[in-house]
Amino acid sequence: MNQSKQSPTSSPNPVKLVRTFPRFSVSQRWEHAVLLVCIAILLLTGLPQKYAASTWSQAIISTPERLEVIQLIHHITALVLTGLVFYHLGKTFYLIIRRKLPGDMLPTIQDIKDAWNMLLYLIYIKKQKPAFGKYNFEQKVTYWFLFFSIGIMMISGYVMWFPETITRVIPGGVIPAAIMAHSTEAIATTIFIVIWHFYHVHLERLNLSIFSGWLNEEDMKKYHTLEYNQLVRKPRKNQDSGDNNL
Amino acid sequence: MSKHNVVKKLPGVFLVVGFLILSSTLLFTPTQAKELAQETETYCLSCHSDPNLKTTLPSGETLSLYISPEQLKDSVHSPNGIECEACHTNITTYPHPKIDYQNVRELSRSYYSACQKCHPDNYTKTMDSMHAQAAEAGNLDAPICTDCHGSHYVHPPDQPRTLIPSTCGNCHSEEYSIYQSSIHGNALIQESNPDVPVCTTCHGVHNIQDPRTQQFRVEEPDLCASCHANQEMMSKYGLSADVYDLYSLSWHGVDVSVYDARWPTIQHNSAVCTDCHGIHDILNPDDPNSSVNPKNLLVTCQKCHPGVGPNWTGAWTGHYEISLERTPFLYYVDWFYSIFTPMILWICGIYVALQIIRLIVSRARRSLR
Repeated sequence: MNQSKQSPTSSPNPVKLVRTFPRFSVSQRWEHAVLLVCIAILLLTGLPQKYAASTWSQAIISTPERLEVIQLIHHITALVLTGLVFYHLGKTFYLIIRRKLPGDMLPTIQDIKDAWNMLLYLIYIKKQKPAFGKYNFEQKVTYWFLFFSIGIMMISGYVMWFPETITRVIPGGVIPAAIMAHSTEAIATTIFIVIWHFYHVHLERLNLSIFSGWLNEEDMKKYHTLEYNQLVRKPRKNQDSGDNNL
Repeated sequence: MSKHNVVKKLPGVFLVVGFLILSSTLLFTPTQAKELAQETETYCLSCHSDPNLKTTLPSGETLSLYISPEQLKDSVHSPNGIECEACHTNITTYPHPKIDYQNVRELSRSYYSACQKCHPDNYTKTMDSMHAQAAEAGNLDAPICTDCHGSHYVHPPDQPRTLIPSTCGNCHSEEYSIYQSSIHGNALIQESNPDVPVCTTCHGVHNIQDPRTQQFRVEEPDLCASCHANQEMMSKYGLSADVYDLYSLSWHGVDVSVYDARWPTIQHNSAVCTDCHGIHDILNPDDPNSSVNPKNLLVTCQKCHPGVGPNWTGAWTGHYEISLERTPFLYYVDWFYSIFTPMILWICGIYVALQIIRLIVSRARRSLR
């Protein structure tokens, strides 16, 4: 599992070895990239429609033709995102039936304990941050928040897109509800991404592992202690790591 | 010495004499004019009070030249001293100059320009109206001042108020009969209601515009709102004054307000008040014939949304505030987000703020150590 990478340095003397650990597969990196582009486009084309009365929106939507183009882009991007969601769910389903789903992302009781200990650490009751595995509770919150958020946006979005068809099956009252949910959930999601996600991947540390696919040893030790210990000590299976106490 | 004094006092004398002359005109002119007017009227009526007085125009039409003295005295002009000659400027004495109008309409269309002398504002407004456009396009029957106000027997046009729709109804008979059976027209005619709109309330008075334009369409909700958003007036009839505000928040209303504010002349079909409620035929929604009666609502929706099923009407929140009874889905979604969105904002904000504080403090400690 472990890889060694020689740092590209011209200096001949100390050959520095940087140990990297694979974190995301090529498929996962592409999924994230497509998701990022989709959400960005959906927000850029959706927010001017929500805030149609504001000046900045009127600068973007200057003519009815532009509004049509913006709606078209929004719809096409929504279809791409729908495709991505089905790919993601399909892959998960495939992994489940092949008994290959790692399950690292599933929420556990340990996450609640970790969150509580993290809070105690942040208010100076505990001296040490809790040690995390492959995905810490913050990353799980990010994943599951966006999972459900995209679910709500998709369902409400399709209700708004095909209201006449949808009311053949379900009560008409869902349409104004979908309009409100779509519009409000978008804002909640934007707040979440900008405050929560951007803090964790840009401010706390610059974490580009979702683009590169790997994480260096230092970050592994510091932020994914449990996973690091597990990976490094794996060959010596008979030895008790004692990590479980952390 | 005396000569010298007279010369010295001359300007003063002029002033005094001038003042006396000027003030005397102020004192005497109106009475004089009034008397003159009465005299002109009496003079003209000495012939024109004969009911059999008439002439034949080149078109073969008979033009009655009879003026009823009683009705003339009852009009707004005669008691105020506005005499025959004020309008019939070309007739100063008898025998009259020769009339060279081909027909009665030509005579009317020529004489009504006399109204401009005293009523220039309203006259100019009519030049801007739909009626003037129709006349320009060649329809000589398009109304002029005298068609609505009368020529010799002019009365206040809105006394009683029912006079307004019946005046318009002289030509627009179909609209008038529809209006009479509407909730507005019915209240006007049956109860002499002072609040209901008459033709001119919505269409304007002298500068009546084409109501079929896109501009009129997108501004139409504001027109209805001028009464229906009036809390005081609506409470008199037990009606909600929030209908306009709630409409403005709806899918149709948002759409229309964007077009109204930015592209008022571009064709757009999002529903305005009249698309659902009707125009001249507006009825109480409880009336089984009303287009917005729950019984007829689906058919009304299908005018724009062809082929929608019976569930469709449930999508319309019906000018009501969000409530558990009427709009349960909307109620729960609204309730959820009223908690969820601020919660996300606060949790993310506080958590990240604590992280940043912890980070800064530990960094400061490390460097101070």
